[in-house]
Amino acid sequence: MGRLVLILRLATRDLRRRRVEALLLLVALAATTTTLTMGLAVRGVTDRPWERTRAATAGPDAVVTSTSVPASITASASALTGLARSPGVTAMSGPYTMRYYDDLRVRDLRVATTVQGRDAVPSAVDRPRVTDGAWVRDGAVVVERAFADALKVRPGDTVTIAGRRLSVGGIAVTTARAPYPNSAPGLIWASEADAARLAPAAENFRRVVYLRLADPGSAPAFAARGAAGGSTPGVQVVPWQEVRAGGTAELTLVRTALFTGAWALALLAVASVAVLVGGRMADQTRRVGLLKAVGATPRLVAVVLLAEHVMLALAAAAVGLGVGRLVAPSLTRPGDGLLGVGNPPSLTLATAVVVVLAAVGVAGVATVFPAVRGARTSTLRALAGTTRAPRHRSRLTALSARLPVPLLLGVRLAARRPRRTALAAVSLTITVAMVVAALAMWHDVGVNDARINGSVDFVQGAGNPVTERLEQVTVAMMLALLALAAVNAILIAWATAVDTLRPTALARALGASPRQVASGLSAAQLLPALAAGIAGIPAGSLVYRFAQMIAGGQGSSGYSPPLPWLLAVVAGTLAGVAVLTGVPVRAAARRPVAEVLRSD
Amino acid sequence: MQDVVLALLAKEPSHGYELRARLQHALGPLGDALNAGQVYVTLGRLEKAGLVAAQRVGQTDRPDRKVYELTAAGQDRVTAWLAEVGWAKPVSAKFHLKLVAVAAAGLADPVAIVDAQRRELLRQLGDLQGAALAEPDGSSAALLLEGAVLRLQADLRWLEACARHWEREERA
Amino acid sequence: MTANAVLRAAGLRKEYGRGAALVRAVDGVDLDVAAGEAVAIVGASGCGKSTLLHLLGGLERASGGELSMAGERFDTMSETRLARLRRNAIGFVFQGFHLVDELTAAENVELPALLAGVSPRAARRRAADLLERVGLADRSRHLPSALSGGQRQRVAVARALVNRPLVVLADEPTGNLDSTATTDVLRLFDGLRRNGHTLVIVTHDSRIAATSDRLITMRDGAFVDETRLGGGARRLGSLAGLGG
Repeated sequence: MGRLVLILRLATRDLRRRRVEALLLLVALAATTTTLTMGLAVRGVTDRPWERTRAATAGPDAVVTSTSVPASITASASALTGLARSPGVTAMSGPYTMRYYDDLRVRDLRVATTVQGRDAVPSAVDRPRVTDGAWVRDGAVVVERAFADALKVRPGDTVTIAGRRLSVGGIAVTTARAPYPNSAPGLIWASEADAARLAPAAENFRRVVYLRLADPGSAPAFAARGAAGGSTPGVQVVPWQEVRAGGTAELTLVRTALFTGAWALALLAVASVAVLVGGRMADQTRRVGLLKAVGATPRLVAVVLLAEHVMLALAAAAVGLGVGRLVAPSLTRPGDGLLGVGNPPSLTLATAVVVVLAAVGVAGVATVFPAVRGARTSTLRALAGTTRAPRHRSRLTALSARLPVPLLLGVRLAARRPRRTALAAVSLTITVAMVVAALAMWHDVGVNDARINGSVDFVQGAGNPVTERLEQVTVAMMLALLALAAVNAILIAWATAVDTLRPTALARALGASPRQVASGLSAAQLLPALAAGIAGIPAGSLVYRFAQMIAGGQGSSGYSPPLPWLLAVVAGTLAGVAVLTGVPVRAAARRPVAEVLRSD
Repeated sequence: MQDVVLALLAKEPSHGYELRARLQHALGPLGDALNAGQVYVTLGRLEKAGLVAAQRVGQTDRPDRKVYELTAAGQDRVTAWLAEVGWAKPVSAKFHLKLVAVAAAGLADPVAIVDAQRRELLRQLGDLQGAALAEPDGSSAALLLEGAVLRLQADLRWLEACARHWEREERA
Repeated sequence: MTANAVLRAAGLRKEYGRGAALVRAVDGVDLDVAAGEAVAIVGASGCGKSTLLHLLGGLERASGGELSMAGERFDTMSETRLARLRRNAIGFVFQGFHLVDELTAAENVELPALLAGVSPRAARRRAADLLERVGLADRSRHLPSALSGGQRQRVAVARALVNRPLVVLADEPTGNLDSTATTDVLRLFDGLRRNGHTLVIVTHDSRIAATSDRLITMRDGAFVDETRLGGGARRLGSLAGLGG
């Protein structure tokens, strides 16, 4: 008990004494926990608005559409109704006509639309839920809600389709089709009479049938049979799960982005903690003699550090859960095409437990390894105060004799602490990889937007809610990642500057100029940064490919941003590291030599 | 000196010149201080005291030489010498009193006297150090020189303390 | 004032702190070191001799006074030019050896040469020659951790000589050594002196001080006494306590 009190007292004192370090750690850990909380919150609700809407609209289990070849129209119509007699089918609606027009006009907008002919009476399968106005009647059409939002039309407005003016009688949602713009062009329901009165669509005339299955779970198997069966040529069967995936794509993407980001942030946080702990243990081993004199062992030092970091991790978990809870609703808000979920997602106990465990795990893992290593350092050597004697000389050091002085110093300083150099490289590689992945995604989005912008299928100037939210999330996460990477770069440069004080002072006594020493220290940071910049590019491509795989989408540009962007990433990494590490490096290079050499 | 010569004879009877050679080897560069007569004078005194006995040995081509050996009394003297633990008296007391006297009477500046003494000791140290460095590794003379050097070092350190003390006294 | 002074200090001062806490570590020192001269500066610890050495080596900035090396003022030089002066004209030997732990003996000796822009091949040759001279040719590939204290200090001396400096500055070169190792280092410095190297040694070890040509005593930041050594062939016997 007394021991625990002692450990806690030492830990809190130490935290108070090293506020900046504590704050940096807290920020690093909180970034991780916040992202994780948001990821968990989004995962919890991805499917909920869809399920709710599906229940409210008697959504179909399978959607059967005839292909749009005019010659097969008649054959397909009979084939469609034939499908209703297939085993496992319990109910059917349709067939309904689907006509494609590329000139829906409202105000000065012109956009394509799909007009579905419907009966005035509700059907057995797919009863679109009217959220505003009334269901279709002759002369009045109903617009799918997300499409209506993009068009900015309300009941009472008038739209012109293929030259024919029709009044908007209502706004509705459905789960028979992914909302606009996940599926484009946008959907308008009209009475069969109105639909028939529209100018005949020479091409792209289709029929659709909505089916209810005895076992909704078997829909994919049913679809596979129907499509490949051969008995119904010219027919496409889509199971409801596929429609759902299309309708919730943005949430899936956001969730994938958040989890990928949370992993990257966690790894960076591990690196931050490890650098700090490594530096602290080195610092402590020098005082180990003194500590022993008052009865403390290096193990106690390690335990105190662990206690400190667990406290910080708990605080970070609290911050992360709090912030995540505030931010999550704006991420999980369903699109306009779906019915909202009654109450915003609340933090479940499971989420809290996962976040706390993750935070403590990150802090613990990053503390335990360097701390144990530090604690094992022989007391004798610690008392002698010498840095660990290298067992062997690195070949790099021997080779560096051929390099110019700054590089020679840089390579040798980097080789002094290979683990820290590796940590710097890994931390930066993760950051670069995430930046590259984000750039690849933004590039894809850009390509997609460019396609949309030129396409008549999309409402021009209405924006794309799917990619907008994804962009917000990824931009915020990139900022968090870059901030954390910057913290790491500074910490590593600072730690390097501190424990190379003696060798750099010595190099200056032997005739190296401050500039040579500063550029040497910079080179020690820039060499891993260069490696990271290069390694991060394929890694980023892989991350993006992997994320796409999980989210079920596909990149359109070979999973990699264009070459000039990549070159900019490498250049930016080097420039960023040079700027961030410049301050501690220059400070170290200017410290009076005599003072350093005397203080031992 | 007498004791050393007796001890050297304890192993076996020797000629005077053999004794001198052995002494010179042990002393190394310090052996130069040992003139040839000194050994013979010592041997003469020992003979007179009945501690050694001399035997004349005839030589065909030169004058006869004496071979010296220990008598019983000489043996006893060697044994007693080995058991002896006396140590040369340090000079510090005398020098200390000199400084006290000088300061009390106002004859001179004690610090100046210390400095002069220190210069002298440092010169001596320089000479001894030079001789020590010229000795090959493992020579027994080097060991002797090291002893002298260490003693001088101790004296110099004490002089440093003296200087500090008398400077404080002057200031007070 | 000798005409051929390699290293010259005039009215050199170094102060730390201010007001009541002002410490005059070096207080108006004048020093001329002639080419080929070995000067020892002795004094109790805290007398300012280490600070003086750091000032002479351009490792610290003086508060006042002038410093020149081979006639060139260097108290007013920029850090970069000072660095160049250190690498070309000055060799340092420190009390704590200050070898780079990760580098072998030979690489430690090469380092200042590489810093001075000597080609790797030439630096290696110089290092090999110097290690031979200090008697460590067979230890050139050892790391400092595998060398004894005396051997480390000999490596440090070789390192100080690698750029053929005008003057070698040594700060307590025997400070951390046992008696045998001290003898090694004494012999080495004696050899340097005989070979005409210009040496400035600060020490509280009178043994190494006694191997110099000129011995300066420092007290409270100022020179208080100066002795020329050597030259007198003394009766060593009496020195060793051999009374007749």
